[in-house]
Amino acid sequence: MNARIAIVFIALLSTGPAFAQGAVSKGQLRLPEFAGLSEKASESVNVTFGPEVLGMAVRFLGTDPEATAAKKLVTSLTGIYVRNYTFDKDYAYPKSDIDGVRRQLSAPGWTRMVETRSRKENTDVDVYMLIENGRAQGLAIIASEPREFTIVNIVGNIDLEQLHDLQKLGVPDLELETAKKPEPAKAAAAPTPAPRK
Amino acid sequence: MTENFEDELRRALRPVQAPAGFAERVMRALPERRDSVVTPIAMQATARPPNYWQRLRAPAALAASLVLAVVLGQRMALYQQQQEEAAGFAASQELLQALRVTSQKLDLAYQAVKNPPEAGAEENRS
Repeated sequence: MNARIAIVFIALLSTGPAFAQGAVSKGQLRLPEFAGLSEKASESVNVTFGPEVLGMAVRFLGTDPEATAAKKLVTSLTGIYVRNYTFDKDYAYPKSDIDGVRRQLSAPGWTRMVETRSRKENTDVDVYMLIENGRAQGLAIIASEPREFTIVNIVGNIDLEQLHDLQKLGVPDLELETAKKPEPAKAAAAPTPAPRK
Repeated sequence: MTENFEDELRRALRPVQAPAGFAERVMRALPERRDSVVTPIAMQATARPPNYWQRLRAPAALAASLVLAVVLGQRMALYQQQQEEAAGFAASQELLQALRVTSQKLDLAYQAVKNPPEAGAEENRS
């Protein structure tokens, strides 16, 4: 009996730290700290919004069209994580950190929707989506340019149709519905989902 | 001489029977017995009845404390509300900025897909 109690106690002790670390929710990436980059960058945007902060931010959004569209989009989300750094000189950021994030996106469920490689402008943009049961549960954008790199991770029940509301923020129609309902007719116009990494 | 003196002294101090009724007379002559009254020194000093303001001092202090507590509580609540509003407003601005960055990068991908490179160009899009 005592041995059983001891085993349970040890098991609880061993699993405790895992809970304490806060397992990331589905669709959430473990973004690097990018320590020191903020000092080197001429501009930086570092947004880490979990469910609580996101809820508070939504409450304080205004009523202008931009805010209304944002509110509608964000309501079903549980997290928004953005790392954006702009530098005064080329490639002042560690590409290894970005590659580490890319590796996370090779996990099952993630699908690369868009992959662009421009050697002319040295710009790479990848758009990934985590789709489960026909619904997008996560969105990740990795954009690396010579003097700027951006990682966007949006977590939650993403309604792709609501992504169109982002057009009010200046986002054009990306025709991402094709990910939910692939249509051969649209395939030519829409970005072709790349094979999973 | 000495013996005579001693004898005279002994005769003078010999026990004498009290006259009849002596004890009763003495007891009657004594004042009536009363319980002792102890008056504290502090009470003696403030023996005068408190005036109007002195009587109000304690309730006034209590009322002032209550008013101060209420006012301070209100100020604290107001301060916390202002802090929360400031944090919420800042969070909403950061949220909009995050969405703007997202839209810019989606636009970057869109432009790359929408304007495919000419054949032979050194670009790779999928």
